Amino acid sequence: MNNETKKLVWEPPFIQPHRMGEINKFGRARLHDNSKSSVYGVSVIELLRRFGSPLFVTSEKQIRTNLRNTKKAFERRYGSVVHGWSYKTNYISAVCNIMHQEGSWAEVVSAFEYEKARALGVPSNRIIFNGPNKPKFIIERAVAEGAQIHVDHLDELQLIESVAREQDKVVPVVLRLNFDTGYTEPWSRFGFNIESGQAHQAAKMIALSSHLNLTGLHSHIGTFILEPRAYAEQVRIMCKFMRELESNEDFCIDTIDIGGGFASQNALQSVYLPPEQVVPSINEYADAICTALLEGTQYRRQIGRELPRLIFESGRAIIDDAQSLITTVVGTKRLLDGRRAAILDAGTNLLFTAYWYNHQVHTTKPSEGTIADTVLYGPLCMNIDVMRHSVQLPPLSQGDNLVFSPVGAYNNTQWMQFIEYRPNVVLVHESGECSVIRMCEDLSVMMQQDRLPEHLSMPFPDTVAMNRVLNGSTIARRS
Amino acid sequence: MEELMSRAGGKVPTRERLSQLAVSETGFIFDPQTGQSFSVNPTGLIVLDLLKRGSTLDVASNSLADRCGIPTEIASSSVEAFILQLGRYL
Ligand SMILES: Cc1ncc(COP(=O)(O)O)c(C=O)c1O
Repeated sequence: MNNETKKLVWEPPFIQPHRMGEINKFGRARLHDNSKSSVYGVSVIELLRRFGSPLFVTSEKQIRTNLRNTKKAFERRYGSVVHGWSYKTNYISAVCNIMHQEGSWAEVVSAFEYEKARALGVPSNRIIFNGPNKPKFIIERAVAEGAQIHVDHLDELQLIESVAREQDKVVPVVLRLNFDTGYTEPWSRFGFNIESGQAHQAAKMIALSSHLNLTGLHSHIGTFILEPRAYAEQVRIMCKFMRELESNEDFCIDTIDIGGGFASQNALQSVYLPPEQVVPSINEYADAICTALLEGTQYRRQIGRELPRLIFESGRAIIDDAQSLITTVVGTKRLLDGRRAAILDAGTNLLFTAYWYNHQVHTTKPSEGTIADTVLYGPLCMNIDVMRHSVQLPPLSQGDNLVFSPVGAYNNTQWMQFIEYRPNVVLVHESGECSVIRMCEDLSVMMQQDRLPEHLSMPFPDTVAMNRVLNGSTIARRS
Repeated sequence: MEELMSRAGGKVPTRERLSQLAVSETGFIFDPQTGQSFSVNPTGLIVLDLLKRGSTLDVASNSLADRCGIPTEIASSSVEAFILQLGRYL
């Protein structure tokens, strides 16, 4: 062996016993190099140089494309369709306004989300107001402004009625329903149950009120639904209920809102097969929904009534793959069980969805060295701060970057302000230009909401006495 | 190996024990005595090969340091750890 021999990549020598059941279906085959040096067409190095690490990178083009494709799938099959952007999925202002520019209404579930949509300039008649907690002041505002209120429970219905009476208005309301499709765990805590008769009772109360008008039906059967037939059943049940109402009471339902829940291309920890194999296409969802809806509303066509407007509130399927998270390795370890581990500058404080997804992880430069099972930890002082429990990666070193994707849904809203500052969120514009759409936090942001009572304004108020103690001890030591 | 034993301070496999192992070029190891199999990384493969041929800790460390272009002290402590690890499994 001479000096010309190519240097071996340094890694401490290591032997790992094979345990039964641990060898994956690829054996020990070296996995293909999956590094990517850019995200959404922009170099990772350049992004980090400009905006720091960790960094959320969002693609305007991807959001618009996802939304257009999804709406087209429904419009082709059914006709008039409205997308309600579920604010809780990602309510960064720029993200919301991309959705609104594409024609999406705001689907909000709290006073804060309602106020945010209005502050962004969303007209009140394009706000769908969902959620189980709508305090009186915000119902007063929503009624006065004419937002589309979805009723969750009887007390709320009574509150809306009293506000409508105070304002001397007839308020259109949409009933949120729950029922068993036989496919998903029924979300019976939201809305009125059909099987038990609660929903019929609520409709009766609305019919009896001179200040309320039932104009729509809504249900959301769950999230990350992998079975399009669940939606077909949902629509069938809603249409049957609509027909019963329309034949018994003097109602004319003009809106059917099927909620959200289409799966994104992400890997649930509980699902063995990769997303490419289990996640239905938008066309499959749209087929199931529109076929059932055309069937269920045939009676209306026969009597010359218009078809109801279809609203869908898809969140994760629109935004998830339009955002990635770039992180940096701050240190590496060898665990006692032999696995490699790396500590990253982003953890579950930023990537809340790491608790239930196995996100894709890409290195940003071609891999060198043996690919092996690796654990990725976040920076928090919590044992559960794990970004990936097991992922095949080449040896990592301090300063290496890893890109997590897709991360667009529920992270920029459910992230925790815990221990660390939250980082910049940037948008790659359609032009390729990049800009910050949410500034990183700093100390002033973190302390802005704190208030110090007078007597707590100093951490060590008795500094004089303190000095005396310190001086005393100095003297004592000298003597 | 006795020298290793005292320096590493733990159970260390003998050269005879190491020579029983079937080691493939890709780092797959089979121990016919226990039926257990292992994977060893590329640096581990080099060190294992040297130890099987009777190299001392210093020779193995120097050789590894040379192959990877790293300081000998780093190679030496990691080779010690590797030998102790072998001792736990064999
Ligand atoms: C009423 C309602 N609509 C829409 C959504 C968005 O769901 P998803 O992101 O699964 O499409 C949710 C999420 O829980 C919801 O509760």
